[in-house]
Amino acid sequence: MTAVRAVREPVLWLVMTLASVATFAADTPQQWLDRMNAALTTRNYDGVFSHWQSGRLETLRIVHRVLDGAVTERLESLDGSGRQFVRDGAQLTCYLPDQHTVLVEKAPASLLPTGLPKFDAAMAAYYQLDSPGTMLQMGQKAQVITVTPRDGYRYGYRLWIQRATGMPLKTELLDTAGNVIEQVVFSSLSMRHHIADAEFKPQLVTTGFQWLRDDGGPPAASAAVAENWNNSPLPPGFQLTAQTAQMMPGVAEPVTHLVFSDGVATVSVFIQTMVFRNSPDQAGADVTPVGSSSAFASVQSGHKYVALGEVPPATVRMIVLGLMQSAGQAMGLPRVPK
Amino acid sequence: MSNEELESQLSAMFDNELPAPECELLARRLARDEQLRSRWGHYAAIGACIRGEPGVRLETPLASKVSAAIKQETAALAPPAPAGRRHGFFNPWVTSLAGLGSAAAVAALAILWMRGQGPAVTAQSGPAPKSVVVATQIQAPAARAAQPAATAQLDPQTRAPPRQAHEPDSYVVPAAAAQGPVLVQPTELANYIVAHSAYSGPLMRRNALSALVGGDSAVPQPTAQPVSATVVTGK
Repeated sequence: MTAVRAVREPVLWLVMTLASVATFAADTPQQWLDRMNAALTTRNYDGVFSHWQSGRLETLRIVHRVLDGAVTERLESLDGSGRQFVRDGAQLTCYLPDQHTVLVEKAPASLLPTGLPKFDAAMAAYYQLDSPGTMLQMGQKAQVITVTPRDGYRYGYRLWIQRATGMPLKTELLDTAGNVIEQVVFSSLSMRHHIADAEFKPQLVTTGFQWLRDDGGPPAASAAVAENWNNSPLPPGFQLTAQTAQMMPGVAEPVTHLVFSDGVATVSVFIQTMVFRNSPDQAGADVTPVGSSSAFASVQSGHKYVALGEVPPATVRMIVLGLMQSAGQAMGLPRVPK
Repeated sequence: MSNEELESQLSAMFDNELPAPECELLARRLARDEQLRSRWGHYAAIGACIRGEPGVRLETPLASKVSAAIKQETAALAPPAPAGRRHGFFNPWVTSLAGLGSAAAVAALAILWMRGQGPAVTAQSGPAPKSVVVATQIQAPAARAAQPAATAQLDPQTRAPPRQAHEPDSYVVPAAAAQGPVLVQPTELANYIVAHSAYSGPLMRRNALSALVGGDSAVPQPTAQPVSATVVTGK
């Protein structure tokens, strides 16, 4: 570590902490959400939390560091399996002691995160933000923020945001009926001004492990992103925020990846064309692939559409039907309501 | 609630047999009760030990207790089969993996090994219904019979655990048999989930990764190894 960095890190940590404390007075729910997102992505932290979803509870530890703009993160299961994820920039290394295996995956550059959800004024048309008050959570003062959807196309959130740091000590994801479908609760959390590289090393012996690497596919042809998907009918509030094409393992053609967002929720749609050119149309099906996300797939006029995101099933379904309609490929399908 | 009742609830939750509403209540209690969390950790460690999972690290005082207990009561302590056992449904996934290329296999393994459940998306012959059962979480008798012998027998190279004595020989799939061909292969879906997570907000990204990392330590070993994948090092 250089002398400059040795001085800069504690000063930066102090400034950020003071800044977060100093801005309490005029905070709106929206500002709390902005502060939470900033804390999650720009601060160094180390915590243990429980993750509940679909009746299953796991205890995990997360160590997160931002150093010179580079994000390093370690996520470790503390229950039984001892599995660990270490993300270092675009590279994700998965340690699977229960499988005696280490997997190394590198995300294509086109898939690197481009930004955070923006809780702007337009969001008020689709979500109601409230700040019911302050509660103690984990023995700390936490600002409770509720994000309530105004229609059935998105999920809601309840957040307990630590007043001193902006970190979400507890989060709940709520379905359209207001039922909790996913919950994360920290049992310990410390904001640290310095986290050493050693803390991102897996705390396990990998002797005898098999190491597997997937470097992702070659870059996709730029022509694949030329198609215009901007005019498709979408659920209220959603808009196209990113469009890429990439090679994906097991697929011989570039896959178009469209990202739609309402500022909070995000939906990805993956479109293949070549291998389905001569395929008969197939109506779609819903499925919950992992965690609390929904997915929907359909084949129409030689295009296969697969949508998934942390939204109700109706939303992914509507987005796919809208895209098919926009492409003039939705013959015989019910018209998508605006 | 008495300690005994709590213990019973904790045990049921660990075996995936506690109803969701009770799980939620217990999860909240776990979050604020350090002693209870410690008890939960013990359950996890004991379960892992019983299953003989490699790489399990136990705290020193607990390790000796667990080892001693297992030696004395191995049979009695064997965990009951959780609802919707995963040994059965995993085989179709493995079968589909075996036919894919190396990169796809690696990407799929990254997800599938860390998940306790994960359905494929299948096509419907009629109009898109409101809700469709598409998960093949358990294997149909016909499908099991069609599996090559390797999927039902222990392959020493894969370090796959033997089938449990209480595991049924056949399973029933309620609706999957009436459905059309698979529209999205599990491997493909796994890749999409990884790609999508890069665009999720920080909260949702963390939650998705937590779901993957947490997984289910009882997930059986795959019977097909990704032999065509690049082996970086054999450390």
